Amino acid sequence: MPRKPQNPASPFFKGRNWKPFAFQQEVWDAYRNGESGLIHAATGTGKTLAAWLGPVIEWMEGDGEANPPLRVLWITPLRALVTDTERALEAPLTALEIPWTLSARTGDTKPSLRAKQNRRLPTALVTTPESLALFLANENASDRFKDLRMIVVDEWHELLGSKRGVMTELLLARLRRISPHVRTWGLSATLGNIDVAMETLLGNRNGRLVRGLVPKSIVIDSLIPPAMERFPWAGHLGVNMLPQVIAAIEEGRMTLVFTNTRSQTEIWFQAILDARPDWAGLVALHHGSLDRKTRDWVEEGLRRGTLRCVVCTSSLDLGVDFTPVDRVIQIGSPKGVARLLQRAGRSGHRPGVPSRITCAPTHAFELVEVAAARDAYRLNAIEGRDPMVCPLDLLSQHIVTIALSGGFVADDLLAEIRSTYAYRRLTDAEWAWTLDFVSRGGEALRAYPEYSRLVFHEGMYRVMDKQIARRHILSIGTITGDATIDVRYLTGGRLGSVEETFIARLRSGDRFVFAGKTLEFVRVRDMTAWVRKSRKTGGEIPRWDGSRMALSSELARAVRARLEAARNGIFLDAEMQAVRPVLEAQADISAIPALDEFLIERVQTGEGHHLFLYPFEGRLVHEGIAALVAYRISRLRAITFSMAFNDYGFELLTAEPAPLEEALAAGLLSPTNLAQDIPASLNAAEMARRQFREIARVAGLTFSGYPGQNKTVRQIQASSSLLFDVFMQYDRGNLLVDQAHREVLERQLEQSRMGRTLERLASSKIRILDIRRPSPLAFPLLIDRTRSRVSSEKLADRVRRMTAQFEA
Amino acid sequence: MNALPLTIAGERLLLYPERAAYWPARRTLVITDTHWGKAATMRAAAIPIPGGSTRESLNRLTQLIERTTARRLVMLGDSIHARSGRSPQTLAEIATWRGRHATLDLVLIRGNHDQSAGDPPAELGIHCFDAPLVDGPFVYRHWPKGSEEGYTLSGHLHPAIRLHGRAAESAKLACFWFGPSVGVLPAFGGLTGTAIIRPNPGDRICAIAGDEVIPIRY
Repeated sequence: MPRKPQNPASPFFKGRNWKPFAFQQEVWDAYRNGESGLIHAATGTGKTLAAWLGPVIEWMEGDGEANPPLRVLWITPLRALVTDTERALEAPLTALEIPWTLSARTGDTKPSLRAKQNRRLPTALVTTPESLALFLANENASDRFKDLRMIVVDEWHELLGSKRGVMTELLLARLRRISPHVRTWGLSATLGNIDVAMETLLGNRNGRLVRGLVPKSIVIDSLIPPAMERFPWAGHLGVNMLPQVIAAIEEGRMTLVFTNTRSQTEIWFQAILDARPDWAGLVALHHGSLDRKTRDWVEEGLRRGTLRCVVCTSSLDLGVDFTPVDRVIQIGSPKGVARLLQRAGRSGHRPGVPSRITCAPTHAFELVEVAAARDAYRLNAIEGRDPMVCPLDLLSQHIVTIALSGGFVADDLLAEIRSTYAYRRLTDAEWAWTLDFVSRGGEALRAYPEYSRLVFHEGMYRVMDKQIARRHILSIGTITGDATIDVRYLTGGRLGSVEETFIARLRSGDRFVFAGKTLEFVRVRDMTAWVRKSRKTGGEIPRWDGSRMALSSELARAVRARLEAARNGIFLDAEMQAVRPVLEAQADISAIPALDEFLIERVQTGEGHHLFLYPFEGRLVHEGIAALVAYRISRLRAITFSMAFNDYGFELLTAEPAPLEEALAAGLLSPTNLAQDIPASLNAAEMARRQFREIARVAGLTFSGYPGQNKTVRQIQASSSLLFDVFMQYDRGNLLVDQAHREVLERQLEQSRMGRTLERLASSKIRILDIRRPSPLAFPLLIDRTRSRVSSEKLADRVRRMTAQFEA
Repeated sequence: MNALPLTIAGERLLLYPERAAYWPARRTLVITDTHWGKAATMRAAAIPIPGGSTRESLNRLTQLIERTTARRLVMLGDSIHARSGRSPQTLAEIATWRGRHATLDLVLIRGNHDQSAGDPPAELGIHCFDAPLVDGPFVYRHWPKGSEEGYTLSGHLHPAIRLHGRAAESAKLACFWFGPSVGVLPAFGGLTGTAIIRPNPGDRICAIAGDEVIPIRY
């Protein structure tokens, strides 16, 4: 019997007194056999080596070709992870003296390195989906990627469920076509639907699911406020747990303070420094809008252990191994079990030390969420992430990308696209429409010969116009987020970027806080906000859109269970003990709803008549149900609703009382006509119009321009809202408009979850309580100023009630 | 069409929710910022926007002319959006419209877009001016700038206002904005955006709410 060959990579392990884990060996063997797959495990458990050494061993055992061309493509979701990934991949190459070249390509890559890569790609390339798309938009793409053996998609769970994930699927399909024997391996954190995660990554191929190390036990605890406010506030500004947070930072050697939004990061950074000025230079902040250099400096400090504390957002959820971190604090609720575990895993990288995460509530009910998260963790109720299906905006973008790479034959490209999970059920009609839309502008533009984007010539679709090509290249990579503009000092030096909508509101001389500094706004020019340091401190803090996370279904269920216990007088754990006075106040003023009850509170204030409804299903679902309920009531009489939502419920506010009982009797929650009423209510709340913003951007209908843009660029800019109106009015068959409706339903509202919630509510006992003052549950909704509207009144009648307030 | 009467510079004007001001004493209709051919400009740049907005704006204009029996139309600038929007269809639509109102006296005060897009075709018989034009107590110009010769009627800004009310009501509406010496009309074109204005105390604001024009208190 032949002996099992010695692993040629073992000197690397021996040199570190390590031994390969069984799961790593499994991946290497599978790779050798030509298999693809997905590795899931907690962070810092050796997933990187499991994927990376496969092709390295293959080279050592095989050809040993000197100076090999591109063999391994390493795709990472965040630019911030690139440096660290390069470092991790470099280590075994050095130890094993392997003469591979390795470099990274992102938007941050220096021109000299770009030029070098453009001449010849390294043996292993680390990149992001957007940068990879740019490579594929090039005529010589097939040539460059033909020797590819392995594609690794790092942190796949982070891409999954987003349009960037779908973009990655399309790019993988392309690469598999260029290099049919390439293997694909994904690395992912543990998810509730890990099998779907693998199916999405591999398209219609079989694969091997490899489970990494089982995570060590995790401690989840809370900082308990000494005195409990009976009326919690909205939560995103409160820093009144500051003394306890400072004390916790003092306990640790190096602490990560996670917040849920970039604005909170700025707020907490300031607050910590104000409380401990002696920590200047030892406290840093980190979020995705900061300049790369600043982030690098912070990450380096984390690796070396030279910082005391870093205040950060999800920008530090991923990748990067910071062994010196020994304490993790979560400000506010993490809103999901998977995220909580991910963040907890950032600490305790030493053997025998459990990971621990300490939550600092920003309002009282978050204590319930922490206790519930611990329950869900014990029950292993970890969220899944649903992949997006068939976004035609992204398909439009991809078709142009491929047209730029030397053109395509329609049927070949269709087959390639259908090999992805996202488009496996793409219909012939959808394909024909999209292709027609990007090439000739679709049915509505048949009469306009001046329009042409793709040119059909000798059986191939191509882009011929240089302007179109240039604009497309600039717009790849604008999937995430709204248009942002750079923030720079007049004297030079980039601070980062903020959303254009924030800057648009500023006037020269206004102060704002960004990157931990108080800045004075001077002017906007060349897509840059020019600022100077302000001598005064304090100012407005930018709000970045889309940063509010919703309570997951798993956590919502655990919260309802905790409230049911509290209703029965059971207050287990420190968190529930602490929140007890608030829940008792809730029971006193109103009620804690039972599991089979749907609580509706009615109260009148100087502002108007309020209805508070509590399904406890997370804010995304509440947004949809609020629109539906408001729409159905508004059909009974002319009325205007202003709506606010949070994770527990929603508020409907009216100037006159809403006919609630009448509406309930008429079937307010009834499943009848849901198929018509839901879309109608979403229209009434203008949700599809808002969703269209992203679609218009991805499909290349709007774009934010670029530095030094001239008049011709400004002339073709129009807001997505205007375009939405134009399509609604003159091109009703436009599938991008359909997509906006579909996305609101499926993704934003998690339609299936909304349906299940409605069923649950319809079979619940409805309990309407008229209360004299807002309850603790109502309070955060009451003071929330971000609102949407549903109205069946004539606009002119509404306007007569209103007075002008000029936006400052 | 419910017009709101308003006295400006001693003259009675009618403000139409279709985004026009009518001066009955001179049978003059005043509009601004039509941006004709904007969708065509975008199509020429390979952005697939369907047509219809130029035609819609011309139809709206026809209704206003017929309703008011105006003899003269004054356009305060930015008539054609951009040179690349001068497509045969756009120009044909404008010519057809002109044919329906052959006796109408047409005046255009050039705006920033007209300077690069060029004047409407000469055969339309539009009198085009660079300088502000004085007409009784009024001075027509594109930019909202005061004048010694009278009260300025202008465009350029695409003014809108944000309103707030009880029960957290809020709405953003295109508006007419009349200051002590300068008035700004809302943009007439369909594919034009708006910009929130910052009026001074004492200014008169009339907001367009559906099919009504409503004076705003503040």
